[in-house]
Amino acid sequence: MKRTLLALIISAWSLLATADSTLQVENAWVREAPPSAQMMAAYMTLKNTGPGDALLTQVDSPAFGHVMLHKSEVVDGVARMIHQDEIVIPAQGAVELKPGSFHLMMPAPEKRLVAGDRVDFILTFSTGETTRVQADVRKKP
Amino acid sequence: MRKLKPSHGPSSLWLIIPLLVAAVLLAACSRPQPPQLSQGTLLPSAKPVTDFQLTDHRGQPFTLENLKDNWTFAFFGYTHCPDVCPTSMAMLAQVQRTLEQQDGLDKLPQVVFVSVDPERDTTALLAQFVPYFHPDFIGVSGDQHNTLKLSRQLGILYGKTENSAGDNYLVDHSAAIILLDPDGAFRAVFGVPHDPDLIASDFLAIKNYYEATQ
Repeated sequence: MKRTLLALIISAWSLLATADSTLQVENAWVREAPPSAQMMAAYMTLKNTGPGDALLTQVDSPAFGHVMLHKSEVVDGVARMIHQDEIVIPAQGAVELKPGSFHLMMPAPEKRLVAGDRVDFILTFSTGETTRVQADVRKKP
Repeated sequence: MRKLKPSHGPSSLWLIIPLLVAAVLLAACSRPQPPQLSQGTLLPSAKPVTDFQLTDHRGQPFTLENLKDNWTFAFFGYTHCPDVCPTSMAMLAQVQRTLEQQDGLDKLPQVVFVSVDPERDTTALLAQFVPYFHPDFIGVSGDQHNTLKLSRQLGILYGKTENSAGDNYLVDHSAAIILLDPDGAFRAVFGVPHDPDLIASDFLAIKNYYEATQ
């Protein structure tokens, strides 16, 4: 009950925080990782209804010690992860953080996260605006 | 003197030519043709693999012998990889589930995850990482010499990224999935993006072709 109430308060707060923003975050999720995994990845869609490009510059989370902006790329058949200083969300557009592309990379916490758990992320944009996002942990095929 | 009758002239040729054409067509039809694949690339001829010494996630030796008498899908990755590797492993689990539904498939292919990060991917780590995706999947690792011995034969590239420091590093690696036949020979390669249904149907086509040519 207490947890549900807390979740409701957080959701309401995040709705209020993003109500007049031109930046929206949808479908945030964290991939459930194997028990021994040292690293985890999170994905979401970032939308920008504003007239100029927006830059995601930093992500923090109470669930993880550190959150990095990354992009996976396959060049000439070789997969590599490239650290990103920022992720651009084009004006009147969107950017999808998805498997095999942009994603957040986090060291796995000591207590393993499993499907059904929820974690919060705080996204900071170049304007100084911050948005709190709740992500579901999912076991994805 | 009796004149020779030209009785076996043009009329008999008309009989022979269609027979010859029919014989050629029959020969061409009965020889199995390489399958048209949707996702994979079949090697013009299977490439035998020479021996290597790796260890599986149960601590047992994993050598060329383990590639024989079974089809093998091999993927090269590392457990500190949070995006591409889990995506590929989960995709291979879907291929396996699709093949499990197939009637008449006597034996499922084995799926082998070969670590390109033997420094950090201990047997214990692989034992928790690999079977998470499917209980039958096999994780293998070994020293750099033996890992390279196998990867080079399969056209797989890997290496630490340039700005790697200490224990906190990333490894670039080929994203391809390799198919080896029951002789332990390199038979086909699947580049990205991977579609589990297409890989499953390509596998069945390659297997049928292999069996028809034995």
